[in-house]
Amino acid sequence: MPDFEPKIVAFVCTWCTYAGADLAGTSRMQYPPNVRVLKFPCTGRIDPVFILRAFQKGADGVLVSGCHPGDCHYMAGNFHARRRFAAFRALLDFVGVDLNRLQFSWVSAAEGGKWVEVVTELTERVRTMGPMPEFKELEHEELWSTFAGAAGGKSAVLNSPELKEAYDSIG
Amino acid sequence: MNARANKNHLTSIEPAYYEAVTEAIRKEAVKILKEETVVGVVGYLPGRRKGTATPALVTSVEEAEKLIFSPACVNNLSVYLTKAKKGVLKQGKVGIVAKGCDMRALAGLMTESQLQREDLFIIGVVCPGVYGFGVERTGTLTEANIARKCRECTVHMPEGADVAAGTHAELADLTPEEAEEMARIEAMPQAERWAFWKEHFSRCIRCMACRQVCPFCYCEQCLCDKNRPQAVESSPRPAGNMAWHLVRAMHLAGRCGGCAECERVCPMDIPLNLLNRRMAKELKELYDFEAGLAPVEKGPLNQYKEDDDQSFIK
Repeated sequence: MPDFEPKIVAFVCTWCTYAGADLAGTSRMQYPPNVRVLKFPCTGRIDPVFILRAFQKGADGVLVSGCHPGDCHYMAGNFHARRRFAAFRALLDFVGVDLNRLQFSWVSAAEGGKWVEVVTELTERVRTMGPMPEFKELEHEELWSTFAGAAGGKSAVLNSPELKEAYDSIG
Repeated sequence: MNARANKNHLTSIEPAYYEAVTEAIRKEAVKILKEETVVGVVGYLPGRRKGTATPALVTSVEEAEKLIFSPACVNNLSVYLTKAKKGVLKQGKVGIVAKGCDMRALAGLMTESQLQREDLFIIGVVCPGVYGFGVERTGTLTEANIARKCRECTVHMPEGADVAAGTHAELADLTPEEAEEMARIEAMPQAERWAFWKEHFSRCIRCMACRQVCPFCYCEQCLCDKNRPQAVESSPRPAGNMAWHLVRAMHLAGRCGGCAECERVCPMDIPLNLLNRRMAKELKELYDFEAGLAPVEKGPLNQYKEDDDQSFIK
């Protein structure tokens, strides 16, 4: 895949990872510019729906990063997030999303180096995987695509000759 | 557990069993209404067509004498306490007819402080199973017409109910169709799994029946109805459908009682309970949580342990 620049969205907590990324910047460390950082109060605030939305709107990879366990500014936000994302990962895997595109990490405010490492690794991994087509394709499909795309054999259930005839008769 | 050990190997449940349960429910409902223990009983009345049943809130002894239980009593009535007949709880204690799976929903709602145990009089049904969809309703329950969820039921006995109607009866040697289907999907290559769900979700017409019928979807305003900012597209297009079903499964993770009402009401036959089952399985493996008949202090996603698995986090 030549000239493919992956889009990475990073959901980070303001107290640790955002400060860590800031430290990487002020320390003049280099990391891929593919990452778009979004700041949240806490990993506990990061809803799985944000991750879905990122993928739908064109992200090729998503990073969720916050404070190490025990360091949460709100005491337990990252503990709750840890359970929630463990469950969410299982769900995404069950519907057939490649979990290599979704990375979770703990990066503290002092770990500028780790931030660079995490971002570089994810970016390079996604670069070799190529763009993520699944969610983006959904964005461009209509309910009727299953009928119209019948030639492509997309749907076995909604593709009976009767339905096809009815669909074609609509024009 | 004892009941499980001495289960008789039945190949069909005769109408006589359901009549006996019906008798027991009527007797109990009449008694608690007469004694004014409760202001009403949520139960099943005969439907207008033969072999059907309809949920109802009965408030008089005459009505209570018409209550029934049959394999057509598929509905999970706990939804009537948090949503449809929400007001009735304010007037006093309410009786409710509950199968094992409904009791899990009641327990979950108590866990979430949506219901109080002392506000309820639970008439538990020792339920051998109910009809599946599109089957022949002969009055006799057999392997041919039992619902998919009932094939793997683990809660035939309504333990913890105020009274139990019926004796133990369950069909023997049912194939676990749903577990087999889940194993089949899990064994698929990832791209095929995506294609499988994409095809199912693309049929969704977003009628929201799955949400309306779910006892746990009691939010006054659903995240998926909000449009400023819009989290999930509300029109029935593949993108929004995928998001809605993922959000739904995620919001029910660790709460779902497994009554499979969502799947039953789905007009497009999307196998929604597979998603619920998958999440339940994950939470069992990770946090040893299973939806049970008794309320717990907190659900698995509302609590944490310091040593929870974090092998997926860098």
